[in-house]
Amino acid sequence: MVFADAAGSLSIAHGIMIGGGFIGPTIGIGLVGANYLQAVGRNPEAAKFLGQALVFVGLIEVYGLLAFASTFFVK
Amino acid sequence: MFSLLTHVALGSPAIHVAPAPDFMLGGLQITNSMFYGWIVCVLLIIFLTYIARKVTLHPKGGATQYVEAGVDFATNLVEGAFDDKKVGRKYVPYFVTLFFFILLNNWSGLFPLVGESWQTESLHIGFHPLLRPMTGDLNATLAMGLVTMIVVYLASIREVGGFRKYIRHFFIGSPLNPLYLVIGLIEMMTDLTRVLSLSLRLFLNVTIGEIVIAVFAFLGGALAPGGVLSPIVALPFTLLELGVGALQAYIFVILGVNYLAISVNAAKAHDHDDLTEDDVPETIEAKASGAAS
Repeated sequence: MVFADAAGSLSIAHGIMIGGGFIGPTIGIGLVGANYLQAVGRNPEAAKFLGQALVFVGLIEVYGLLAFASTFFVK
Repeated sequence: MFSLLTHVALGSPAIHVAPAPDFMLGGLQITNSMFYGWIVCVLLIIFLTYIARKVTLHPKGGATQYVEAGVDFATNLVEGAFDDKKVGRKYVPYFVTLFFFILLNNWSGLFPLVGESWQTESLHIGFHPLLRPMTGDLNATLAMGLVTMIVVYLASIREVGGFRKYIRHFFIGSPLNPLYLVIGLIEMMTDLTRVLSLSLRLFLNVTIGEIVIAVFAFLGGALAPGGVLSPIVALPFTLLELGVGALQAYIFVILGVNYLAISVNAAKAHDHDDLTEDDVPETIEAKASGAAS
């Protein structure tokens, strides 16, 4: 409580929101990229699924962006 | 020239998620994103009509070939999602229009003097920019998402051949099975969130791109007096936004097409199934006893 008052609890809240909100999508996008490259490495014909991998990246990243956008509503 | 470059509000970057009203028109507030959306729409119609008249059998290069390549890409995208290409071809015009509309709206938001980062002395109202990309406004993307999902629902009901058969595709088995019934109902609930997820994805990506560019333009403005360095510091993020804008147009179109294609393909694949089919006792007990015996 003392620490939060000293450092500004709003800054801490924004930091936790952005950090916590981005870690999940970042791991998710990393998993999508890693598995895509692994699939291409095993079977080079799988390279044609880059579009679908990017669709999943788009599906995932919206959750991080939601966390980022909600920092503007926490005042 | 250099007066244009001092586009960063001194002190702290002024960032807005919501659009701001520019002027009144017959009692209606015209916001900056609406205003820029109209400008882009008019330019888009003129540009694409001009390109469409220039298309020849032997391409001569120029802007025409890029538009042709884009149309070809989006056409293949739409047709490839359907099992039956003839069905897909009917919906190519709508989705290709959507693709170019979103793509060029996203990219036109990166022009100089447009967006949150360009707040010059002459080109702002209050601390809001005069122009703002239309896809960076939740109202615009919500309209696009709603229209797309209405088109998807109506088209899939028409292609499947009736409301009843359309509802049928949510259920992977007989709806009389309680497990399949619950799964089907959950599927129908998630179907309703698609409008929001489609529109929020586009809106957040474009708006947060705007904010990131504005923040880095501000940081660049703090490096040198007069904000001379801010366009250079913001340039990598502007280039990143070019890719994000193209990717979001692609994702919006491919998701819309796939929502349509899933129901159409499922209905074509299981054309013989019907709700009234009662000679298949698909219950958990029947399956369990069948597996045991």
